[in-house]
Amino acid sequence: MSGLEGLRESAVINLTGAVTMVVDDSPFGLDITASALLGFGIKTRYACHSAAEAMEILKDHPIDLLVVDTEMPDMDGYELVRWLRRSGLDPNAFAPVIMTAAHVRRSRVTEARDCGANFVITKPFSAASLLERIVFVARDSRPFLEVGDYFGPDRRFREGRAPGDERRADVLRKLRHEAEKNAAAGVGE
Amino acid sequence: MTVITHARRKSRLSKIIDDAGGVSVGVALSRAKANLDSLAPRSLAEVAARIAELSALQPPETPEQEVATLGLAYRAANGVIDSAGPFDMADVCAVALGLCDLIDAVTPQRPFDWRVLPVYAQSLQLLLALPQDAEARRKVRDSLDKMVDRKLAQPG
Repeated sequence: MSGLEGLRESAVINLTGAVTMVVDDSPFGLDITASALLGFGIKTRYACHSAAEAMEILKDHPIDLLVVDTEMPDMDGYELVRWLRRSGLDPNAFAPVIMTAAHVRRSRVTEARDCGANFVITKPFSAASLLERIVFVARDSRPFLEVGDYFGPDRRFREGRAPGDERRADVLRKLRHEAEKNAAAGVGE
Repeated sequence: MTVITHARRKSRLSKIIDDAGGVSVGVALSRAKANLDSLAPRSLAEVAARIAELSALQPPETPEQEVATLGLAYRAANGVIDSAGPFDMADVCAVALGLCDLIDAVTPQRPFDWRVLPVYAQSLQLLLALPQDAEARRKVRDSLDKMVDRKLAQPG
């Protein structure tokens, strides 16, 4: 399938039971994310238009996945994720978090790295890249670290690898496989 | 610096994803695409609304107004990217991203050139109106890219 990156088309996933929260101040942006998630079998349980609204829910309701936009008025996505990681809420403080960003301000690049999100996806994103990140965070086995004021997944990809690396490796593997297959079939002779 | 390591507990998501049932990745993506396709007409209206917001912005008269107006322009440009989203409007997104870069690069030494705002608004309107394969689309984007490069090359 066009746009499919590091995932096999035939791989089977079951995300139906994932309690998911989407936070985006833009109603249409929220609809786009929720529509893509619905295609994956995820019915968005909590659709929030502000960080404050999300915080109230997160205090009382466990979630399995948080998808949050970075740019929001008042409290932005980075601040929400930083609060969540430091909230002491169990299990929510450890929940997989994917952030979406149309543009990351230079002054916020460090915050994007340090707020504790598992991933930041830049918009416009494809459904394939969103699904790929969801599968990655589901399988993310990195430990959580507390270092200074950072609390979140280990930012060094030692065991779990970033999808970008996987994609490159997959492309190389696929090319090698195709070359071997062609050689075995006598293509080009 | 002290490092405290919390052993990673398996998240519920990591268990759910391998539960019996579910769908193939191919089916999930086809469904997502169908869902997103149904939003495409709304996307155009949303992008047009954000461009109208950009067009309506007037150059500020005070430093306080400048901060507020730049914030509005940045949010509108972000909104264009949000709304254009996964709907084959890569050049619209790229142009809006250029405006975000220019606003983000503002410093006391490199103030925002308010003449570019209507240029961006009109260019985005043009991109919305032109057919997807029009050569003019590339020209619009190229000229704006060059302008961004020039502006960002100025000392700031």
